[in-house]
Amino acid sequence: MAKKSYNYAQLEAVAQEMRANADMVFYYEYQVPTATLPTGEVLDLAKEFGNLRTSGRGWPIDEQWIAGAAIGAAVAGSKAVARLPSMAPIYAIEYVQNQAGKIRSMTGGQASMPFVLWQDGAGRSRGSAGQHTDVGCEVLYAQLPGVKVVVPSNAYDAKGLMIAAIRDPDPVVYFDYPEVKAGEQPDVPDEAYTVPLGKAVVRQEGRDVTIVAWAPATVDVNRALPMLAKMGISAEFIDPRSLKPLDVDTIAASVKKTKRLLVVEHGHYTAGFGAHVLSEVVQEVPNVRARRIAFPDVPGPGAAGMMEWLRPDAPKIVDAAAQIVRA
Amino acid sequence: MSEQRGTLDRRSLLKLLGATGASAVVTSCGSMDGSVSAEGLTGGKFEKSISLATAGPGGNPNWQPGDAVKFLPPADIPTSGKAADALAAAGNEKLLHLYHLMQTSRQWETTMKDLFLGVADKLYGAFHTYVGEEAIAVGVMGALNDDDYIASTHRGHGHLIAKGGDINKMSAEIFFKETGYNKGYGGSMHITDMSKGIMGMNGIVGASYYMAAGAALHAMVRGSKQVGVAFFGDGAAASPYYFSAVRSCANMKIPVIFVNENNLQYMHVPMAQTAPTKYISEYTKGLDIPHFLVDGNDLSAVYAATKEAVEWARAGKGPSMIEGMTYRWYDHAGFAGGKVSQDGAMGLPYRTDDEVKQWMSRDPITRYKKWLVAKGLASDAELSKIDADVAAAVTKSVEYARQSSDPNPEAGVLNTHAEGPVKATQFYNRRNVVTRLT
Repeated sequence: MAKKSYNYAQLEAVAQEMRANADMVFYYEYQVPTATLPTGEVLDLAKEFGNLRTSGRGWPIDEQWIAGAAIGAAVAGSKAVARLPSMAPIYAIEYVQNQAGKIRSMTGGQASMPFVLWQDGAGRSRGSAGQHTDVGCEVLYAQLPGVKVVVPSNAYDAKGLMIAAIRDPDPVVYFDYPEVKAGEQPDVPDEAYTVPLGKAVVRQEGRDVTIVAWAPATVDVNRALPMLAKMGISAEFIDPRSLKPLDVDTIAASVKKTKRLLVVEHGHYTAGFGAHVLSEVVQEVPNVRARRIAFPDVPGPGAAGMMEWLRPDAPKIVDAAAQIVRA
Repeated sequence: MSEQRGTLDRRSLLKLLGATGASAVVTSCGSMDGSVSAEGLTGGKFEKSISLATAGPGGNPNWQPGDAVKFLPPADIPTSGKAADALAAAGNEKLLHLYHLMQTSRQWETTMKDLFLGVADKLYGAFHTYVGEEAIAVGVMGALNDDDYIASTHRGHGHLIAKGGDINKMSAEIFFKETGYNKGYGGSMHITDMSKGIMGMNGIVGASYYMAAGAALHAMVRGSKQVGVAFFGDGAAASPYYFSAVRSCANMKIPVIFVNENNLQYMHVPMAQTAPTKYISEYTKGLDIPHFLVDGNDLSAVYAATKEAVEWARAGKGPSMIEGMTYRWYDHAGFAGGKVSQDGAMGLPYRTDDEVKQWMSRDPITRYKKWLVAKGLASDAELSKIDADVAAAVTKSVEYARQSSDPNPEAGVLNTHAEGPVKATQFYNRRNVVTRLT
């Protein structure tokens, strides 16, 4: 088991499922699917599976086509993955909303939809501005009936959730944020494995406050945890990994213990997915002190100073957690 | 109405531009066959047998890096012919002004390239260079009025400069300063000057069509005779928005000029890898609108074609399509393969250095300079003086940017709505911020 990059882990997942399913297809725009192991071994899906099952050296800039073609192939019975770029986070949403999410129901269960929308995400970083900084669009997909949503935050989950998504007979939107790909990654097994959809993970156990965050806010929470520990605050950190289905049991069990909930998100505040997390918890657990912090309802600005101030980063997480505990 | 359409249009426009030895070719109604287009591109002898048939969903395996030389125009732009005459008729003052604009675009971007590659200014963010494509922006804008609308692209610095954009405010925006065009919110990809009909650069490929069409509808409603220009690249022509907008503009005779800057590469993918035709303008040949296929590195060809397209639009005849064949000297974004004080990006994996060098030898500015001198319209000394003036203005703009202030970080919650800040929801205590700003 060589140490794998996040990208390698993801492409390995797709490659393994393509080997197991002779008619599975993988379409993408300019993100030519190659990755290299530290040992020098190159994974090249276009080369291995050819032009009929992949987009070769790249398909035209037509996201509706890429997603729509994959959805059509999936209805016909091919497992299909469509990867769209980060500045087009909801280009596919109309076809997913009106077709992918509804076809099973509308056909009385006849049609299956083994479709995965591999949606690249952007990030709250300086210099890109507006259209290249979006985070949180996963909530828009989570709202659609029939559609599942996952948000991996490390290389192990990235591979396991990708395989689970491909094997799932329903449409799954897989949000892929670059910020979580940097830094130390857990070991990724060589063989195919799944991380089940709808199963949260407790990243750190604690007594005083439950923090819920998913990619890419997990990066800031991970920075905040040691600072909180130094302040004597025992935080429990839960990464839901799947937003839909959402593992309410794991989160509610934690809040029953801590009685305090902080949800952190890089998505926008109004109707962000954190609002749903909070609503599920307060319906299950009495007497909870709950708070959300989120990126404000503004497009991400380009200037570094503005972006840094807007981002719900580690110091702001520490402050919020401390105030909840003290309140 | 019918005599205003179809082959008659094509014939009359061909007559206007000159069917033989023309610097621009006009076709319409499916007549863009090899014999017309290949001859018309400024006398260029183009490879007619480029096969773009694909071997499956993955694209054309026959197209290899280096093949962009098959679209290479000749060394010099013609000094006679209808296009040359049309441009010469613009008068000396204008001809020198157009040269000034091309130089400003080139020198400003080249300076920014050097500043990005240097470390002193710590520049960050996306930057997509237009270097090598200046004849299109300047040729198009030379044929527009100040109050016409343009919708630009992510590669739009040249469009802004050609439409009269202020390079001080552009430089400040690249530095994300509060004196920048977008007060530091937008950066390179979103620079906008609504006061000059510049509806903005745009980070989304294919966003220009509806912007320009909507602006043209606005002009129609007001009866103002303004036109809208939608710039786009070869990559953006794959967008469903493209077919949607062109079709509807043709249907409703909306005064939009679609300007395709075909630089033969979308990001890191050669144009021919994703295009089913030799020229992008062939996509819409079934529509009853004029199509102009021009040498995009020839200012006279672009100018003459645009002049016709503008007259067509202002006469209420609707949209038209201009495709300018050109080439991007640098990488898609940023400066991989580029060096301080050296033109062009070398060593990129999706194209060959030879291809880059050959296209750089067809530099639109050098060609225009030679054209001006050959026609006796300007002297080397006059043009050198302009070069020096531009260099001084660019330097001044950099100083302006350096000396300007960063925006207040808390302005991050402003400018989303017309009035007031939005809640600072990144904090546990969010009311204090709102109180401070209001």
